[in-house]
Amino acid sequence: MVDQTKSRIIEKNRLTELLDKLAQDYHLIAPVRDNNVSFRRVESGSEVTLDYINTVLSPKNAFFPQTETLFRFSRDDSRGFRTEPGAEADREQVIFGIRPCDARSLRLMDMVFNGQYKDSYYLDRREKTTLIGLACFDPAETCFCPTFGIDPASGEDVDILLSDIGDRYLVEASTEKGAALLDRFAEFFAELRGDEEQLREARKAGLAGMKKLDVSAIADKMAPLYEGDYWDSIGMKCLGCGICTYLCPTCHCFDIADVSLDEGGERFRCWDSCMFPEFTLMASGENPRPNRKARVQQRFFHKFKYFHDRNGELACVGCGRCLRYCPVNIDITQIIEDVTSGKAGNE
Amino acid sequence: MKATSEEVQTSVKKLFEDGSIGHFIGYETGSDSLHVTPCFLKSGQAASRLVWNPLCANNLSKYLLDFKNVEGKVGIMVKGCDSRSVVELLKENQIDRDKVFIVGVPCSGIVDREKLLEVLGISPGEVVAVEDDGDAFLVTIKGGTQRVDKEKVLRGECLVCKYPTPLVYDVLLGEAVSSLPWVGDDYSLIKEQEALSSEEKALHWNREFSQCIRCYACRNICPVCTCTECIFDKKAPRWISKANDVSENLVYHLVRAFHVAGRCIDCGECERACPMNIPLRSLNKKVEKDLLELFDYTAGIDVEQQPPLTTYQLGDLDEFL
Amino acid sequence: MQDTKEVQTEFKPKILAFCCNWCAYAGADLAGVSRFQMPTDVRVIRVMCSGRVPPELIIRALANGLDGVMILGCHPGECHYSEGNYLTRRRAHVLKRLLSYIGIEPERFQLRWVSAAEGAKFSAVVKETTDKITALGPNRWVDKR
Repeated sequence: MVDQTKSRIIEKNRLTELLDKLAQDYHLIAPVRDNNVSFRRVESGSEVTLDYINTVLSPKNAFFPQTETLFRFSRDDSRGFRTEPGAEADREQVIFGIRPCDARSLRLMDMVFNGQYKDSYYLDRREKTTLIGLACFDPAETCFCPTFGIDPASGEDVDILLSDIGDRYLVEASTEKGAALLDRFAEFFAELRGDEEQLREARKAGLAGMKKLDVSAIADKMAPLYEGDYWDSIGMKCLGCGICTYLCPTCHCFDIADVSLDEGGERFRCWDSCMFPEFTLMASGENPRPNRKARVQQRFFHKFKYFHDRNGELACVGCGRCLRYCPVNIDITQIIEDVTSGKAGNE
Repeated sequence: MKATSEEVQTSVKKLFEDGSIGHFIGYETGSDSLHVTPCFLKSGQAASRLVWNPLCANNLSKYLLDFKNVEGKVGIMVKGCDSRSVVELLKENQIDRDKVFIVGVPCSGIVDREKLLEVLGISPGEVVAVEDDGDAFLVTIKGGTQRVDKEKVLRGECLVCKYPTPLVYDVLLGEAVSSLPWVGDDYSLIKEQEALSSEEKALHWNREFSQCIRCYACRNICPVCTCTECIFDKKAPRWISKANDVSENLVYHLVRAFHVAGRCIDCGECERACPMNIPLRSLNKKVEKDLLELFDYTAGIDVEQQPPLTTYQLGDLDEFL
Repeated sequence: MQDTKEVQTEFKPKILAFCCNWCAYAGADLAGVSRFQMPTDVRVIRVMCSGRVPPELIIRALANGLDGVMILGCHPGECHYSEGNYLTRRRAHVLKRLLSYIGIEPERFQLRWVSAAEGAKFSAVVKETTDKITALGPNRWVDKR
């Protein structure tokens, strides 16, 4: 139901103007079309594209950058070291156009970075971010977010949700942060005309045939597959590249390393991937996950069992990126079906 | 006559039956009808899974490295380009010719999925099948069949392919294709790039390399990247930082292009694998062009030919005085 | 505009020279002993043969912020190990063209033949390279975060 008091509309032709305004006051991160569509920092509304199903890279970069400086160090006069903090998020940022699946992934990331150990770098950015979501009415064939209880037309995990209803967007604030932003830019938004609910329902028709798998018992069904040869053929096929993990909105593994040049240097954190052999390589030369099969297996066990055991949720949002961009077409939905149907153990 | 999926299935079945092979690497239908995926067989029973159609882009020869130590022969399906990477693997003694059984299929071009969907203005789910039909593809869509000119929807490497028929094989299915009508000057795009100023080139490649996420898909999919430990994975000395910035990405892409110099056969797998759509073939093609011009060398043609950068001639061009 | 000009006149390039132990390194020595005048922007690394310098090192050096890199080796036919310089010559042809393709000017990577007796040539090469690279300005590929 559209909440009449908190909802507004914006005419399509005023959107660019709004984005221009947002870019002045915030770090605006929005989908940009280059070789591909990805979230980027933009300076003006005209750079933004809205003609996309989903971006290639998920917006996790905005909270958990591929490479970020934790601190810099240099020698001081007394032969010791002095350190200074790395760049912090100096301004509030707005992520425009995030899809509901990606927005959900942030909730999962929070479990990691805001769990027992608080990650100040991530949390600082998270706190300073307002999410403006874009409801999804034309999902791709590879999308299966309903599997994880995500409604692609809902604003559950964003601050403001925009729904494209033809000549205008329905704008709904679902948090106080979102409502505050709507107030601040009130000049762009108008009162509802009354037919919005109806128009949105009509658009939802496109979501009817979406893939929805039953994953209710998947964590339990994964356990016996730790041994056995189900993963052999998948490991055989896998090339061991990092596409699936780097594009995944929920994959969050990282590495920390130092670079030192001359008299100083920095410590940085960067994405790492369980698909790479060095991920588990020990100093002795021993590698507990010595082959592609072991690594592929780990990826799915982490998503559908270990993360669930620890946090009570599955580490997948059904965005379909790993499936769409895998060069050898490893199909995560097929794996889910194999596991849940029991086919995986009986081959 | 073109080879069909049925033909592939029957001959593979026969190869298993008469004991010629113990394993087979081919293609099967993937997650939807616009995708195929590599398929590994241990017996002829499952041969009916095999397919051969204009979507079979993967260069399967990379997988031969995983079968080095298995019992018996491994059968593999190769297109023209794939056979050239097999030649390179043989040249470098990466695989034993006696241990592979090569099923060659002449290829008249592979579909670029993205281009096809754009030209037809449809979504992937609507496609039922894609077939080869001379200078066009017959695309079966829900509710009809459409003819699409090949030149509009072929993969980049297929537009300049000079070897559509495998150069090395034990059995060839279907009729050999001697040349493809659309292939012209394969270096026209490279020459355009070369003509730019240094500033323009740097700007262009800076933009391209800044998009790289270093997933290493281009390396891992490359059939001639065969090192057991890649220089980029070495811990000591560390040749490349794990940090992602333009100069590290530059190191990665230049070193990669150089390491496959004289071995790259332009199967286009690196570019196909790249999720960020970086025009990687452009770098490889440039090196390929130089090797041809400087040393009259083309990779993947002749197993006996000496790789160009491991040899020299006294009379080589000397522009360094 | 004024600012850029100022920067350009102040620009001192960083240049690296990989010198073969058997020729150019001795040539550099001779240049020094003979008191030939030359710019001081070149840092020398001694290697056992010009063939010992793989393209990775050149690329790494350029990405690390060097404005130019030279390999100085024995004249063709004079390699201490018979053929190292011939192999380097082939690689250099390809590398130079590849670097130029992505916008690194060909002047930034030089392969030159300098024998142990050519102290004068060593200083001339150093001077020429320094001048060329100074004119080109800083290596625009260095873009550390």
